[in-house]
Amino acid sequence: MKKTILHCDLNCFFASAEMLYHPEYRNVPMAVAGDPEKRHGIILAKNVPAKQRGVRTAETIAAARKKCPELVVLRPDYESYEYFSQKVRSLYYEYTDRVEPFGTDECWLDISGSLSYFGSWENIVSSLLKRVKEEIGLTLSIGVSFNKIYAKLGSDLAPEDSYCRIDSLDDIRRLPASKLLFVGDHAGTVLESHGILTIGDLAAYPRDYLRQILGKQGDTLYEYANGIGHDEVSVFGAQDSPSKSVSCCHTAVRDLRNEDDVRIVLTMLCDSVAARLCQQGLYFRTIHLFVRDRKLKVRTMQVTLKENSDLAKDICSNALSLFRKHCDFSIPYRSIGVAVSSLSFGKDPFQTSLFGESGYSLKQKKEEDALRTIRRRFGEKAVFSLRALEDSGLSGIGSGVNGR
Amino acid sequence: MIRKYVDVICLNDKGGNIKPLYLIWEDERRIPIRKIKEICPRASLKVGGSGLRYTCVFDPNRIRHLYYDRGKWYVEMNDHVV
Repeated sequence: MKKTILHCDLNCFFASAEMLYHPEYRNVPMAVAGDPEKRHGIILAKNVPAKQRGVRTAETIAAARKKCPELVVLRPDYESYEYFSQKVRSLYYEYTDRVEPFGTDECWLDISGSLSYFGSWENIVSSLLKRVKEEIGLTLSIGVSFNKIYAKLGSDLAPEDSYCRIDSLDDIRRLPASKLLFVGDHAGTVLESHGILTIGDLAAYPRDYLRQILGKQGDTLYEYANGIGHDEVSVFGAQDSPSKSVSCCHTAVRDLRNEDDVRIVLTMLCDSVAARLCQQGLYFRTIHLFVRDRKLKVRTMQVTLKENSDLAKDICSNALSLFRKHCDFSIPYRSIGVAVSSLSFGKDPFQTSLFGESGYSLKQKKEEDALRTIRRRFGEKAVFSLRALEDSGLSGIGSGVNGR
Repeated sequence: MIRKYVDVICLNDKGGNIKPLYLIWEDERRIPIRKIKEICPRASLKVGGSGLRYTCVFDPNRIRHLYYDRGKWYVEMNDHVV
């Protein structure tokens, strides 16, 4: 039997939350944007008047102001957004226990089991729209379908404070392929170069062909376009599925111009990744490095180790080797990220080297555990490497050092 | 209309419920709340904000909405009254 899944998306969430307390911004172009001094100055959300003036999410404040000079720009208040997100979510739980968050402002709801109680999906959808608007003061777009992907597409197509139902592929056949979840710029260009322009085209192509041109993602997009699978919504309170990767990314306060700069930021990122691995008792095998230069061009690279590790030092040294091998400083770097994958639990057996040339150092492990204990008890800035002092602004320890 | 934050004297009962008893106006007057007709979660579309809306009856038989939003109380007011 087909399920009934809703995708509920709060309209212009950050901007709506701000307008809730500042009704004076309802009719003027307004956007929520990060701090330009920390080089996070991009538009995170905008209201309808700003949208009508051509302001787009993810563009810089300067670019937005060119199109709309009178744009009111507010700093994000994440605490408030989290509060509203939780409030809306607790309202969803009044309709079903199967609520799966997708970011702060989106959720999938499997209401198949609640239909007999509430009468029909229409009753649930209209009640949700009404209650979120009246009780919380925000508006929703709801997509209704039999799986998560079509439901998500439905909420993208639905107007503000309304819903859109997608029953079958025929309803969306003519939409551009780029509307589908996870079809980004790159996949969109590849599909277009092969003459695949609509979701209908994507669904009609053989799975093998899509795999050939897009790799693993081709498989996923074939399923997405044809509405196959993807209908399991997590149950409230169920344990989260185990992590597939752990990552940390940072946009530096200034461009990274030499290896010392990169090393300072990498040390901080690798400590953070290793601490989170340690919390979950995970070991990694593959290290990914991500760099974005000041022209916003992104490069990713990866290396797989011979044996498992959970050491920050291993992540850092390998990430740095990757950087040395593949990157130069012809264009300075703006942000850098580290991720680890091929994760396994510490308690799982793993292959060590027969001749004892293991790179895993128990001494190093003890040292890192000790550092983490100090940080847990006395705060993140209680202990840091001397390298971080070379540029306290870059390493983000500035205020802490002066304060001590 | 504007959102005007006010001081309120409340009773926190054994069940964890909060019942506003007096509203303290800016001239230090304590205005007794005679009756609470309704408590419901509501957003104030007139002045902005959202939280628990208490529909209160003040003497002589005047009804006002009192909002409780993240630890603060406010009422909706006409701009010219302030």
